[in-house]
Parts: sequence; structure tokens; C-alpha cells
Amino acid sequence: MELLPQALMDGIMLGAIYIIIAIGFSLVYGVMHVIDFAVGEWIMLGAFAGFYLTEWTHVEPMLLLPGVFVVFAAAGYLFQPLIHRVLSGHRGNPLLMGLVFTFGLGLMFRGLAQTFFGFYSHSIPSRFSNGSFFLQGGGFSTTVSSVRLAGLVYALAITGILHYLLKHTDFGLGVRALAQNRDAAGLMGVDNKRTSAFVYGIYVGISAMTGVLIGMILSLSAKMGPDFTIFAFFVVVLAGMGYLAGVPAAAFLLGIIQSFFLIYLDPGYTLLAVFAILYTILLVSPRGLFGKGV
Amino acid sequence: MPEPILVLENVTKNFGGLTAVNEVSFQVRPKEIMGLIGPNGAGKTTLFNVISGYYAPSRGKVLFRGKDIGGKTPYALAGRGIGRTFQVVKPFPGLSVLENVIIASFLRHPKRARAEEHAWKILEFTELADRAHQSASSLTLAGRKRLEIGKALALEPTFLLLDEVVAGLNPTEVDHTIELILKLRDQGITILIVEHIMRVIMRISDRLVVLNFGQKIAEGPPGEVAKDPGVVEAYLGVEKA
Amino acid sequence: MRDRRLAGCVLAFAATLLVPAVVHDTFLLRVFTEAVMWIGLAVTFDVLAGYAGYLNFGHSAFFGIGAYTTAILMVRAGWHFAPAAAAGGAAAGLGALVAGFPTLRLKGAYFAIATWALARAIQQIVLMMDITGGPDGMRLPALLSPRFFYYVMLGVASVTFFAYWFLLERAPFGLKLKAVREDEQGAKALGLNPTKLKIQAFILSAVPTGIIGGVFAYWVTFIDPASTLGDLVSDQALVMVVFGGMGTLIGPVIGAVLIFAFKTLFWAYLSDYEVLYLIILGAVIAGSVVFLPDGVLGMLPRRKEAGNRA
Repeated sequence: MELLPQALMDGIMLGAIYIIIAIGFSLVYGVMHVIDFAVGEWIMLGAFAGFYLTEWTHVEPMLLLPGVFVVFAAAGYLFQPLIHRVLSGHRGNPLLMGLVFTFGLGLMFRGLAQTFFGFYSHSIPSRFSNGSFFLQGGGFSTTVSSVRLAGLVYALAITGILHYLLKHTDFGLGVRALAQNRDAAGLMGVDNKRTSAFVYGIYVGISAMTGVLIGMILSLSAKMGPDFTIFAFFVVVLAGMGYLAGVPAAAFLLGIIQSFFLIYLDPGYTLLAVFAILYTILLVSPRGLFGKGV
Repeated sequence: MPEPILVLENVTKNFGGLTAVNEVSFQVRPKEIMGLIGPNGAGKTTLFNVISGYYAPSRGKVLFRGKDIGGKTPYALAGRGIGRTFQVVKPFPGLSVLENVIIASFLRHPKRARAEEHAWKILEFTELADRAHQSASSLTLAGRKRLEIGKALALEPTFLLLDEVVAGLNPTEVDHTIELILKLRDQGITILIVEHIMRVIMRISDRLVVLNFGQKIAEGPPGEVAKDPGVVEAYLGVEKA
Repeated sequence: MRDRRLAGCVLAFAATLLVPAVVHDTFLLRVFTEAVMWIGLAVTFDVLAGYAGYLNFGHSAFFGIGAYTTAILMVRAGWHFAPAAAAGGAAAGLGALVAGFPTLRLKGAYFAIATWALARAIQQIVLMMDITGGPDGMRLPALLSPRFFYYVMLGVASVTFFAYWFLLERAPFGLKLKAVREDEQGAKALGLNPTKLKIQAFILSAVPTGIIGGVFAYWVTFIDPASTLGDLVSDQALVMVVFGGMGTLIGPVIGAVLIFAFKTLFWAYLSDYEVLYLIILGAVIAGSVVFLPDGVLGMLPRRKEAGNRA
């Protein structure tokens, strides 16, 4: 009887991670109108950065997160103009081209990672990995490893910061204006290019940090990317495209499904279950769980 | 009096909590030009989208030639004879002007050769024939608006919804388009037109319906409507704001 | 003008008929057969990508469904090859109908990931089932006639190509599909049903892909989930289409020939660096988008056909 609360707790923590990934993903879509197919690869690269940094410096990986963020955010900021160029080209279908472009990037990153980092799975050692809490109440009891709890705290913190940034700063106002109407935002003096580059940088930085966390809680490998890309997408579609408020519920649902399959069934079936749910949702309510997407 | 071609009965359209069109009723008679006016955000385009099948009405009925068409798809309505243009013109930018019109012609002429023949006639009529092989995105605004009308005409509609087809044109182009619209009426096409430019709407409309905040505030011949105190206030109120 | 180009294609096709008469080396004929197969897979990919504007990262799913349906019918039910391969095509078409109905409502980018998830889900199903042999794959009865397979592959690919030519460049279907690609909402007002057109395109793309999968299975006599349902089928088709020129029929053919020639040379001399191939594919995709937005085809001098993008 101890498995059920365990599965639920694990699911919530996984869900928290998916929230961050999906929010970054939606933000970039809102501002740049591109679905970043390389999202899983940014996570993977971040995870490896965390892995090697920990191995060389023996510093607690949680403390490395800000550094990873800064480096990757800078990389994303510098990288964005290239994507912008693809999207603003005079081609018939810039959206499709943006998709193809980030897909090619993802493929390249995955190949490079396999070349330099090898094919093996690793995990990032953390001081938090050993400790755990014992929770009891209502006839249930479960242990929660402190690294997972740290992950949850991290996810909540990032979500809170992003929320503040979007709703209470000038930068956030610009981002929201861009997402609503690009031309009008331009007239209002929002610098489209700069704001987009910042958003992309923040998103890459957050994705990379989340990668480090995933490496601590689960594992990392050069081939981990596509699963996370698919999960991020799953959360966004389930939430209803463009409906950020639906993201947490969808993310927790995915996390719980995944942890149940991990504990009770064969984890190999997870993707099958995910696709079955996705298919049903699209058939019944194409605008997401809450019917509020576009 | 002849049977009306379009009847709206208490048509309401909500978006979440917002009521964009509220209990609007009016009738359009065959072969007349009915003008639909009102300040920005009055619900004119929403009403167009309801009539042309892009939105299902939240309440009320839309009858076209006596049949309820509320909730029917835009392509089904095109088949029944409703043509429309978009305020933000929608040419297929990567295709040529001719191809744009051919695509619309397929509705009545499923064979490619016949469709092309028909498209040429439309291009002659809208005076776009000399630009047939240009890409649609290379046309001027006036050209794109005319292409928009041409595409709607290629559907051989009995009822045409025109959404701001003269906005943004220079005076010569405006007169040109007005001539085109009057010619269409002479061919027997019934027209419902949204337009901001009063000079145009007063000149071509047989009757007018005025919307404000989603509600109908007046209906009648242009001369009467222009004197209606409610209408004057709605327009002046907006100008003051 | 177009007819002259069509004539060129017919000539090229006639030349390919003579390949087995000139090429006697078994290995080389295999290479030619596979090249023809990739032409088929690239052209079918482009129907959805170039004409309808939807990237299908689940292209491998239809290839795999065709391969497995053919293998199962031949091995477990004793069918002959031809009806089994036809059934493979039908199964792929059915798969497209069922999968397309909800997923084609999605915007392009979401569709791409949904089909990707679909391909992976199907791979999982095949791994789990007994009838497919699970991870061990399936062995088919061997028919050792390289010429037979060359001609069958060529037959399937060229029938597909010329059927597409007629449907997409001559019949109204191609223009209607392009209209939906350019502006779905605007197309509706002109009497077009976008969902129906997109599903038709999806099926049109899936059926030949399934048949090609069936021919592939019988030809190589052994299939497993990795070789038929892996990402490589979709990835490679995409790179061929983007590199050759999206939204045309000739572009994917050029792309398929060039990329496949490169792959063959790469495999012959650098087979130890399998991952390097992945990197190169990715770089070619990303690079083509930036530097060759119309593909190799876009670099060729154009005939004067004002406003007519083939």
C-alpha cells in the first residue's frame, strides 16, 4: 500500500519539471511563433554541462544552476538572430522553415553529443541524493528523497519568477504585447528583435538548468532529448495551445501517468499511453483539457 | 414584397463573457445593397463571420433563402451561394493571381480547363487580366482588394458579403470599386457591405443597418438613418472619445 | 512548358529501365534499388510537407506498417508477395485516415510532433507484439533476384511519381491543397474543406509509402523495429526534400539522388563514424534552410514562367 502515495509524489515532482519545460516552450512559441524542436537537446546539453562541471569541480550541482543558466542564456541570446533570420525570410512558409531548422539543429546537437559524450547513461551526484524525508498521514506513508523535493522547490521558484517577470515588469509587458500582436507591439515601441532574443535566451537557460535537475533526479544520456520534446509538446497540447493556465494540470497529469507506468507497469508503455491520451483529447476536445486553447 | 434572401432573427454571439453581437434581427431583400455600419468594435465583422459560417451563433437564427444555416461550415455555405471577402485580404501569396481565382472557380467548374476559362472571365471583369501571372503577393493594395472580390465572384454567389473593400484606397480607386459593386448588383447579386467611408456607403446602399456595441440601433434608407439621433450620437460619441 | 518537363521525366524514367542491362554487379544494383526507394520516400514525404505544408515526422510509421503488414501476411498467412504488399499500402492508408483525423486539426508544428509521437508509439506496439516477433524482428522467405526487386521498386516509385504529377500538377487537387497550405481560413470561404483535403493528402502520401515498405521487407528479407520504424526513415526523407526543393516533385528526386549518393559513399569509407552521419544530416537540414531556401532546384536557372512556381 506504500506504492500509491509514492507514485503520486513522484508524479507531482515529474510534473513540476514538465511545467517549467512547457512554459519556456510556450513562451518562445508565443513570441517568436516557432516551435523549438531542439528543446529536448537544450535540456540534454544542460544536463551534460551539469554532469561534467560536477565531475571536475566536485561542487554541489544545485549551486551550479545559476552558472549553467547564465552560460546557456547567453548562448540562446546569441543564437536567436539565426532563427529570426530563418523566420523572416521571404519564403512561402517561414513557420515550416523554422520548424525544419530547429529540427535540423536538434539532430546535429544529438549527433555531436553522442560523439563527444558517448552513448552511456549517467547521473549527476548530489548531496541531496542521499537524504530523504519520511512523510506520514492519513494512514499513508511515503519517503521523499530530498533531491526530488529540491526539484519541486526549484520548479515552483522558476514558475514564480517567470510569472512575476511576465506580469509585473516592463519586459514582461513587451513580451505579452508581442505575443498578442506583433505589429501593434512594434508601434508601441517594443523592440521585437531584442525582446525575442531575451525570451529565447531565458528559455534556453531555463531548459538547461532543468536538464541539470533531471540529471540529478533521473538520469542523462545523449539520446534523452526527443522524449522531453514530445513530453513538452504533450503538455502544451493537453493544456490547450496558448493557454498557459492549463499547463500545470496537464503537466501533473503527465507526471503521474509516467510514474504509474514506471511503478506499476512497463515504462516502455509510457509513450503509448501518452499518445493514446493525446489522441483521445484531440478527438474529443481539440482545444485541450479545458477547451480554452486556440 | 419579395421573399427576403437573408433573415437574421435575434442573432447573438458570445465570446466567453463578452457579447460581440446582441439580439440582432434584420432582413436583406433580393438584389438590394444593404449597408452595415457602426463604430469600431460594434460587431460588424463578427456578424459577417456568423453569416458566412466562421462562427456558429450562440443564440438566434440565420435563415438563407428560407433555410436555417446557423452553424453550417463556410465551405458548405460557399456551395449554397454565399461569397465573402475578408477585411484583412487573404490572397494565397505564393500562388499567381490566376491560380487564386482558379481555386475559387473549382466550386462551380470542377474541371481544370473550365475553371481556368471561368477565371479568365473574372479577371477581365475585375481588370486584373494583365496581371494574371504575377504572384498574388506582388499586387498593390487596390489590386489585392480587387482580387479578393474576384475570388468571391468566381464562386458565382447569389449573395455577397463585402468587408471594407474600399478602405485604404485612393479616391480614383474608390470610384472604380464602387462602379464594380454597382455592376454586380445589376447582375442580380444581393450584397451586404461593411464600410467605414460614409461617402461610399451613403451612395451605394439601398438600405442601412447600424450596429453599436453589438446591438442594432437603426435600420432604414441612408437618408433617414443619417438623421437618426441615436446614430449621430453613436458616431459623435466615438469621435469625442 | 510543363509538358516538356514531363517529357524529360519520362525520358529519365526510360533510362532507369535500362540500368539492370548495364549494371551487372549485384552490389551496385542493390545501391540503385535503394536509391529508387529513397526517391519514392522523398516524393511521398513532400506531398504533405511541400504541397500541404505539414511535416510528417511519422513517415517511418507508414513505411513500417507497410513492411510489417507485408511480412505478417507472407510469413504467417502464406499470402503471395503482390497482394501482401498491396495490403501493406492499404494498411498504411488506413493508418493515415485514423491518425490524420484528429492530428491534422493541429497547427503544422504540433502536427509534426504528434506524428513523431505516433511513430514512436507504433514502434512500441511492434516491440511488444508476438506476431511481429518483437525486438527480434521477422525473417521473410528469400527471393534472390536483384533485378526483380529493382524493377518492382522502380515500378512503385514511378507509378507514384506520375500519379502525383497528374494529381498535383494537372488536376485541381494540387491547387486546392496549395490554397489550404497558404491560408486555411481563406480557403474555406472558397468552398474548400481543408480537413478533408489534408486527410486525402495524408492518405495519398501514406499508401505508396506503405507499399514501398512492403517491397523493402521482401527485398531485404529481414525487418526489425529499428530498421523500418526508426527515426532515420523520416529524417532522411526530410533532408532529401529540403535539400532538393520542397513543394515540387522534381526537387525531392534530385535531393534523394544527391543525399543517397553521399550516404553510400559515406557508408563505404566512413562506416565507423555512424554518428557523424547524423550530425551531417542535421547540418544539411539547418544549412539548407538558411542558405538554400528553395533547395538545389532553386539554384538551377529557371525557365521563364512568370508567377508559375512548379
